[in-house]
Amino acid sequence: MHLTAEDERIYDGEQGWAYQTAMKILVKLGDLFEADKLIPIQSAHIAGVSYKTLGDAPIEFLEALAATGARSKMASTANPSGLDYEGLMGAAVSGNIREKQAKIIELYERMGIKSVLTCTPYYISKPKKGSHIAWAESSAVIYANSVLGSWTNREGGPSALASALIGKTPDYGLHKPENRKPNIKVKVEPELRNEAEFGALGINLGKNLLDKVPLIEGLRSPRETDLKQLGAALASSGMTSIFYPCSHCPKGAEKLETVTVDRKNLKNAFEGLSTGSENPDMVFIGCPHCSLSEVKRVAEMLKGKKVKKNVRFWVCASRHVKAKATNHARTIEAASGKVVSDLCAVVTWLRELGVDTLMTNSAKTAYYAPTLNKVNVRFATLKQCIETATI
Amino acid sequence: MDVELKGRPLVSGVTQGTALVSRNPLSFLGGVDPETGTIIEKNHDLTGKSIKDTILCFPHGHGSTVGSYILYSLAKKKTGPKAIVNETADPVVVVGAVIAEIPMVDKIDITQIETGDEVEVDGGRGTVKILKREKPCT
Repeated sequence: MHLTAEDERIYDGEQGWAYQTAMKILVKLGDLFEADKLIPIQSAHIAGVSYKTLGDAPIEFLEALAATGARSKMASTANPSGLDYEGLMGAAVSGNIREKQAKIIELYERMGIKSVLTCTPYYISKPKKGSHIAWAESSAVIYANSVLGSWTNREGGPSALASALIGKTPDYGLHKPENRKPNIKVKVEPELRNEAEFGALGINLGKNLLDKVPLIEGLRSPRETDLKQLGAALASSGMTSIFYPCSHCPKGAEKLETVTVDRKNLKNAFEGLSTGSENPDMVFIGCPHCSLSEVKRVAEMLKGKKVKKNVRFWVCASRHVKAKATNHARTIEAASGKVVSDLCAVVTWLRELGVDTLMTNSAKTAYYAPTLNKVNVRFATLKQCIETATI
Repeated sequence: MDVELKGRPLVSGVTQGTALVSRNPLSFLGGVDPETGTIIEKNHDLTGKSIKDTILCFPHGHGSTVGSYILYSLAKKKTGPKAIVNETADPVVVVGAVIAEIPMVDKIDITQIETGDEVEVDGGRGTVKILKREKPCT
């Protein structure tokens, strides 16, 4: 791989151990995927924040990096943690867990990574179309590539952090135009009626497409938030990091291998995401984190209703979105729901919170929660979630 | 005579040790106890074995990128492997070996190596030399 003279000096340790280690990570990954150079990036998004999923292992490494004074070269964001900043979760876990979680966040902050903890950083600042970025968090990666038109590989926590410190990423995979071309066509026969059906489609496709790049035909004017659900699910059950939604596919598409999804496939995927039908003790909306329009939709549907006493109703959105949605948050709270920031239900301690059955309109959450959180899941539309949770 | 296998250099460093060979992919997150270096992945051919100070040979890694940090943590606690030999390296293990400074080579036919073999790994040259094969029990 060709390195600039400055990159060579960093690789040799001229700027200290942290930058040297970051450079080595990028160069070795580049070697592995046969990249010929590093390219500058506009932003980095780092995964690996929740103490629940990380455990103790990374703390030492992050501490060693932060101790050198190394800092992110550009505005960088980070994924949700296991705790919210208002302390909703705090009481359910031990002081040791709270300290460790705070420590991880502090270490990232010291490296110049914003402690706005969200899986939808694009609602805070949208990367430009065609810009190269290095994002971890598979749902944000697929959204950036497919909806925003920015270019990123599916980075892991360490490689996204290395890219933040160096300001570059190895030039391979989805940074190359030839790898972004669709190589399969999916014909969706049924009309998708709500966000949950988009998610169910994503789960079905992820299992069957592996890492192929699909053109998805038959989506009639989907909302961006529907595509967010589709992408998040697609990247959960599969390795796809880019898709092309189209109502009528472009010329040349007829030559591609075609797979068809019918009503029955969709129904099976949808029903397969529920593990039980018990009454939920928690309803979780906001995986990936809600946009302003989604918080508004929840508020409008909750208006005048009351969440049952034994049910927690959480709407997760970044602090940034929450600050813009003050009135909607008030409506949700008047109905005994909560708008929760910095946290994601899947990476927090749901069992410790006393949750046995989680109800959600997110196919990604439904896909992961039974194994990651050991809870039962009821997968349903937002409308059904609200009907079930309220009186 | 020593057998030398030639692969791809990934993380430099020269070391000798006893080979621990697996036929299964390994996830460091959830698959290895970060305190002791014992393999805890279920249904794995090395379940219960310790990777501490071994030349760890397995086809490739799988699972979460947090696995890279687990390798760093193992190295700091001195419960990690001396070197890693893979058939096809994946990003999680490569990044882990880089930050943990564990010599690593891939593109090696690991079926040539047996658990118990004394081997020398040269991560900079991409070679694995089998120095001594343990005599099979008779």
